[in-house]
Amino acid sequence: MTRQQQTPSIDFTILTLKDALDLAVLIEEEARDRYEELSAQLVLHRTPGAAAFFAKMVRIEELHRKQLIEQRHKAFGDAPVGVRREMIFDVEAPGYDEVRMNMTTRQALETALKSEEKAHAFFVSVLHNVQNPEVRKLFEELRDEEVEHQELVKAELAKLPPGDPLERFDVGDGPAPQ
Amino acid sequence: MNAPLFQAKDYKSELKPIWCPGCGDFGVLQGLYRALSAIGRPPHEVAFISGIGCSSRIPGYTTAYGFNTVHGRSLPIAQGVKLANPELLVVIAGGDGDGFSIGGGHVAHAVRRNIDLTYLVMDNQVYGLTKGQLSPTSPKGLETVTSPLGSLEDPINPLLYMLAYGAGFVAQATPADMPGMSALIEEAIRYPGFSFVNIQSPCVTFGEDEQQLKAHKGKMKTLASLGHDSTNQLAAMDLARAYGKELYTGVFYKNPNPPPTYESLVKLRQAEQSKKARARHQILEAYLQK
Amino acid sequence: MLDDLILGMAGAGGDGVVSAGESLLSAASSEGYHALMTKSFGSQIRGGESSCRVRLSTKKVLNPGGALDVMVALNWEDFFKFGAELPLSVNTVLIYEEKAGPPPETLAARGVVPKELVPVGITELTKKSAGSDKAKTSVVLGLLSGWFGIPSEAITRGLKKKFGNKGEGLLEANEKALAVGIDYAKAHPLQAPHVIAKPAGTPGSKMLCDGNDMCAAGALFAGVKFFGGYPITPSTEVMQTLTREIWKYGGTVLQCEDEIAGLGATVGASFAGKKSMSATSGPGMDLKTEILGLATIAELPLVLLNVQRGGPSTGLPTKPEQGDLFQAAFSGHGDVLRPVLAPTDVEDTFRTTVECFNIAEQFQTPVILLSDQEIAQRKEAVDLIDTSKMEIIERRVPTEAELAAKPYARFALTESGVSPITHPGLKGGTYLAAGIEHNEKGDPTSSGAMHAKMNAKRFRKLEPLKKRADLFEVQGNPNAALGLIAWGSTAGVAREAVQLAKAEGHDVKLLVPYLLYPIAEQVYANFFESLKHGLIVELSHQGQLYRILRMFTEVPKGVRSFTRDGANPFQPIELVKTLVELKGLPS
Ligand SMILES: Cc1ncc(C[n+]2csc(CCOP(=O)(O)OP(=O)(O)O)c2C)c(N)n1
Ligand code: SF4
Ligand SMILES: [Mg+2]
Repeated sequence: MTRQQQTPSIDFTILTLKDALDLAVLIEEEARDRYEELSAQLVLHRTPGAAAFFAKMVRIEELHRKQLIEQRHKAFGDAPVGVRREMIFDVEAPGYDEVRMNMTTRQALETALKSEEKAHAFFVSVLHNVQNPEVRKLFEELRDEEVEHQELVKAELAKLPPGDPLERFDVGDGPAPQ
Repeated sequence: MNAPLFQAKDYKSELKPIWCPGCGDFGVLQGLYRALSAIGRPPHEVAFISGIGCSSRIPGYTTAYGFNTVHGRSLPIAQGVKLANPELLVVIAGGDGDGFSIGGGHVAHAVRRNIDLTYLVMDNQVYGLTKGQLSPTSPKGLETVTSPLGSLEDPINPLLYMLAYGAGFVAQATPADMPGMSALIEEAIRYPGFSFVNIQSPCVTFGEDEQQLKAHKGKMKTLASLGHDSTNQLAAMDLARAYGKELYTGVFYKNPNPPPTYESLVKLRQAEQSKKARARHQILEAYLQK
Repeated sequence: MLDDLILGMAGAGGDGVVSAGESLLSAASSEGYHALMTKSFGSQIRGGESSCRVRLSTKKVLNPGGALDVMVALNWEDFFKFGAELPLSVNTVLIYEEKAGPPPETLAARGVVPKELVPVGITELTKKSAGSDKAKTSVVLGLLSGWFGIPSEAITRGLKKKFGNKGEGLLEANEKALAVGIDYAKAHPLQAPHVIAKPAGTPGSKMLCDGNDMCAAGALFAGVKFFGGYPITPSTEVMQTLTREIWKYGGTVLQCEDEIAGLGATVGASFAGKKSMSATSGPGMDLKTEILGLATIAELPLVLLNVQRGGPSTGLPTKPEQGDLFQAAFSGHGDVLRPVLAPTDVEDTFRTTVECFNIAEQFQTPVILLSDQEIAQRKEAVDLIDTSKMEIIERRVPTEAELAAKPYARFALTESGVSPITHPGLKGGTYLAAGIEHNEKGDPTSSGAMHAKMNAKRFRKLEPLKKRADLFEVQGNPNAALGLIAWGSTAGVAREAVQLAKAEGHDVKLLVPYLLYPIAEQVYANFFESLKHGLIVELSHQGQLYRILRMFTEVPKGVRSFTRDGANPFQPIELVKTLVELKGLPS
């Protein structure tokens, strides 16, 4: 009966490798979808630089997701998925409050960096509970990948021209009253 | 584990939210999708009613039947919807101004009728849609375009207000704690009677820094962590007094013995009276003077 | 033998003259007479002056009538308070309480001397027969029965019904009082007898009801499932009746916290797919305006009854006026076209109510049913309405198969302007209803181009209404040079005026619109064509239909507005006189 369902949560002490892989897929999926949403918001609100960067993040997260799906298929084929999107929230996806109209590309990159750091912290924290050695191995890899991602974003940041000195000022029109 | 009948994304419409990037309402919407998916009713069996305000745009962003009505009138309109078809899952959403200022007169009556409705107020302590005027939940002294020298009046306390009217389910949430918020929305929907969740949903454009999600993350405290017994109405009122000072999240009060809903009483009355129905073409015979 | 008799009674509230009028009405109707009763009260909550008029006829009664054939005054002071509501003529028989003394000067000052002045010791007769003066009105009923031929058996049956279970002694006392009244009348015949003929109809074939009853019954007949409202005189009886009856038919009444909520819940129920209505009067109409606008733009069917009373503001809560037509047609911001229909008497309140539901559902629009205090609260004995041929229209809801076949567009820009409407619960039909302008799918838009298309659609869909001949009553010689236009309760006066005029040899035609808005330009143009002189008769200060007609049609110069402020009823004869006077003038 659907009425009895409660929003489930994850017990990491008994998490199987299959569920762990599926969870990793969902984490990437969530990040991809969020970047997509944020990019769309920024397009709607005429903030093209940041929007373009988030669109790029959509592609990156999608790539990660595909890689993980492949890994999962190799190990478990089409065995049914045991975890759901509703079990996680904002693991690698930036929070909704991270974006602003007229934010700069630099700010967008900083947002992504923060999200990679957040994901790293997530794996560090759940690893305390994980007992299954295969799951441990997977999560350690994922944790370390987050560090690599951070480095990539940092390198991009370094390539950007120096920050706009007026960056913190919002000079745009206010919202249209209705 | 059973696969859910509907996933969160099944409740998401193609319409793109017009909210300012960073608005708290995005998180609320996300939480709502999740709660609906956990409940599992197909979108076409959900009626989502709102008033007017930034927050009141929310029904359009779902695949449910939506009714984005007029300012302050979502509560009576939703009551009509539910009484006309009690099988529907009826959710109401709106802003603090919509609910407690222009629509304030309807609240007591929605509560006392105890129709199985879930009312989500996206409380940002400001009028968002009209660009930052004082709202009934704005803290005293707040400087806004309509109170440039600081407001002179105390805010309404939505939690105490609802508890005092006798609402059977009163909770507070913030999108800063998404799992907590969606679980609360879900619990509110499952409560068989009128339920209310005050959602602290920041306005990034007109709100104060201390009202933003980052600030929420620092100061929110769950009622469970305070050891609160949510069946204790008096204790709930005591804790609710901290509205505007503390950010407590969770269920303040949930009636452990929910009384029958209005619509269930309607059903009983209809069943009992239906025996006396006349055939359509005999209705007028009741007026014959013998 | 007369075939029409108009009686009036006035007294202090404590005398119970209204209650006596009801007994008379009920007795007459159970015998098969056509009958009509109006009542009027002072402003005190209880015990002020009260009066009633009862018109009995062997034929259909068109209106409360003009001057009284019979007037019973229990005291002079209360009688005079009603002024023009109880008009006397040189033909009136004026019966009065002997104790009150002869008619004061003021009566002569009014310029009419009644034919016969009949003092009767009513109080004394009551005390003698019943041992108390609490049965005064039964003596009066006895007098009326004895003098005017109203069957006493029917009155006795009525007394039994009324007092039978009210405790020992009351019924007996009233029966004795009635008998004394009858005997007194027999022993003291009038100079010129006024006996009413026996009715043609079979006893027990008449309905006894008022306009509000017929509105509630019409709503139930049409299949109303939801009523949301807030009490207000003189519309409250509709809510009261429905809240007793609607459950039997699977519906609900919600007494709301105010009129906004009342109509709000109503529009919500309509959104959920159910036939819905609300009822109110002037001050409540003011509040309902915002929801009416919402229903118009969201294209949600509903019926809103406005029983007009004197205004503005609290105005004259218990008196009729036709002052809310502008509001019904125009209230609310934005370009709005909203059908307004007016019943003209108790009986057709039923038909007009059903019609309002049909129009609402067919065209997906709020419809205003514009009644008035007189029709709504006057009690009438009328023939049972034949409903066997009455049609009921349901809204056009697409099937799930149709919805599955192609993407659903709730506000599709169809040729007729009517689009398929779904409701929550229907698979494949989800959409966003909104007060904000929208595109065909229902998504909010601020596009001027789309707004223009949607406005055009909302106007276009109501065009067919103007071509519905059955929404207009046109009587008389189409080439007549004289004509009357009247609506609502005033129509009954105009109908009788046309008959009177004919009897006097004048050719007068009549137009009674049930559909007041949108204005059916062609119907009026046709009617105006032969007219040299005409009157548009309305019970309001401004003459609101006249003014709206000037806005939408070419009103010929000879056609004038003939108005009187609310609470001052017209008499058929004055319409005839005015027309005849006009006849002599150049057009
Ligand atoms: C009758 C009426 N009065 C005023 C308005 C203008 N108005 C639109 S939204 C709003 C207040 C919105 O504030 P709130 O309800 O808190 O919603 P938010 O935008 O903050 O989410 C006002 C005053 C209106 N639409 N209708
Ligand atoms: S004005 Fe405030 S409440 Fe409205 S969308 Fe923008 S951030 Fe949100
Ligand atoms: Mg607000």
